[in-house]
Amino acid sequence: MKSYDVIVIGGGVIGTSTAYQLAKKGYDVAILEQNDIASGTASRTDGATLISDKQPGIDVLQGYHSVELYKKIAKEFSYDIEFKSCGFMYVCETDAEMAAAEDYAAKVRAQGFEMRVIDSKEMCEREKYLAKDLKGGLWTESDGLVNPYKVCFGFIEQGKKYGLDVYTHHEVTGIKLDARNQIEGVITDRGNFITNKVVNACGVWAPFIGRMVGINIPIEPRKGMLLVSEKTDIIANTEVIEFGYWLAKFFVDFKRPVSELVEKHNVCMNIETTHSGNTIVGGCRLFRGYDIRSEHEIIQAIAERAIRFFPVLRDINCIRTFGGIRPFCLDQLPIVSAVEEVPGFYIAAGHEGDGIALAPITGLLMSQLIAGEKTDFDIAELSWARFKGIDLAKLSARAS
Amino acid sequence: MSKDLDDDMFVCRCEEVTVREIRQAIAEGARDVVGIKRRTRAGMGLCQGRTCEKMVQQILSQELGISPEETGTSSARPPVKPVDFGTLAKGVQ
Repeated sequence: MKSYDVIVIGGGVIGTSTAYQLAKKGYDVAILEQNDIASGTASRTDGATLISDKQPGIDVLQGYHSVELYKKIAKEFSYDIEFKSCGFMYVCETDAEMAAAEDYAAKVRAQGFEMRVIDSKEMCEREKYLAKDLKGGLWTESDGLVNPYKVCFGFIEQGKKYGLDVYTHHEVTGIKLDARNQIEGVITDRGNFITNKVVNACGVWAPFIGRMVGINIPIEPRKGMLLVSEKTDIIANTEVIEFGYWLAKFFVDFKRPVSELVEKHNVCMNIETTHSGNTIVGGCRLFRGYDIRSEHEIIQAIAERAIRFFPVLRDINCIRTFGGIRPFCLDQLPIVSAVEEVPGFYIAAGHEGDGIALAPITGLLMSQLIAGEKTDFDIAELSWARFKGIDLAKLSARAS
Repeated sequence: MSKDLDDDMFVCRCEEVTVREIRQAIAEGARDVVGIKRRTRAGMGLCQGRTCEKMVQQILSQELGISPEETGTSSARPPVKPVDFGTLAKGVQ
């Protein structure tokens, strides 16, 4: 039977980053993935690596550290992850939205990060296809884009150089615990593995692994959808998002002047032109269980909203649509933590729509936790212990 | 037979993916059509794999010694053919 220092379950962006960092530290590491690398949430997403869609506080802080790490990784890796430091723009449609955006930017700046209020004129200079009647927006220089699945492959290929073993198409069916509840091994449909440390990096599927060691992880799928255009001239130079997106993400009660359909499906515009020359537009945040099918009403609403901000899209072809599910965590912060009641069991999951952006820093923090080192910054807010005293059994039933 | 296919031949014309790149993706761990697509972009272009999918299946089948059925297919997602955003925004009339 194969034996490892650490087994990482989940070949998405969080698992591959964690496995890479651990292998780099000299651990004997294996990654177990039920399908292929980047076959779940990581391949059904855009590639925004932003600090600007986070909540002020630790969320923004880890966003900043992660983007900085991306800059290093992009230079260091032999595999091209298509990182582009292109900046990021929020756009506002109404004065009320502009006021909310200015308030948010002030909070981010108070934390020491740059985020500038810009007027419609500057917005249109930066984005020539943007609608001319918008009130203004926010601008962040440091944010960027990556190719999400190439990031996963990059971590894997770089990890292999440090001896990382990769087992795709291995479904974990159980976890062996000893009499003291300490991790002893992992059972899969294609053989068993010996280890004393397991990292659950399964995103929306993390609750299933959690139940194998008797804990309820408060993560549930929050669906999104994206529309892909044919290859064209660059439509968006940067990542552009309507500020309503941030408001909707954090459940801020805010009324936008939008159609019934847009309102019904909680659709907010985000757009980016990718490395390949296709433009992808979204998006929405909905609770639909594990269903990732494309929904016609949502396609219609996204197209409508996209044209509102980028009228040029009206005559451009959409070649594909797809849905994906984000690992929404109860308090909208990821869990990056050991689990005290199950020695040797760690969780790195629950990043909602920020998995791609936060993967580098999450992998690094997790490797520091496992090595017993001091983490780069205090991550008590990301700990499993924060859920003590909350009835998680009831919550996690929704994710089954 | 794919064994005889020239490495420089284009498999996916929309995204200009060659036989060599498909074989490289298999060496990196791709086992099915979707795995090839994510690693090479074969099937991500304007025709969405209508032209190249059969050939990708054949190469996978030959290289891995599995049946073409076992190499899977790309997931079906709307629209069935390219449609402009203006039409999509109007919805089903």
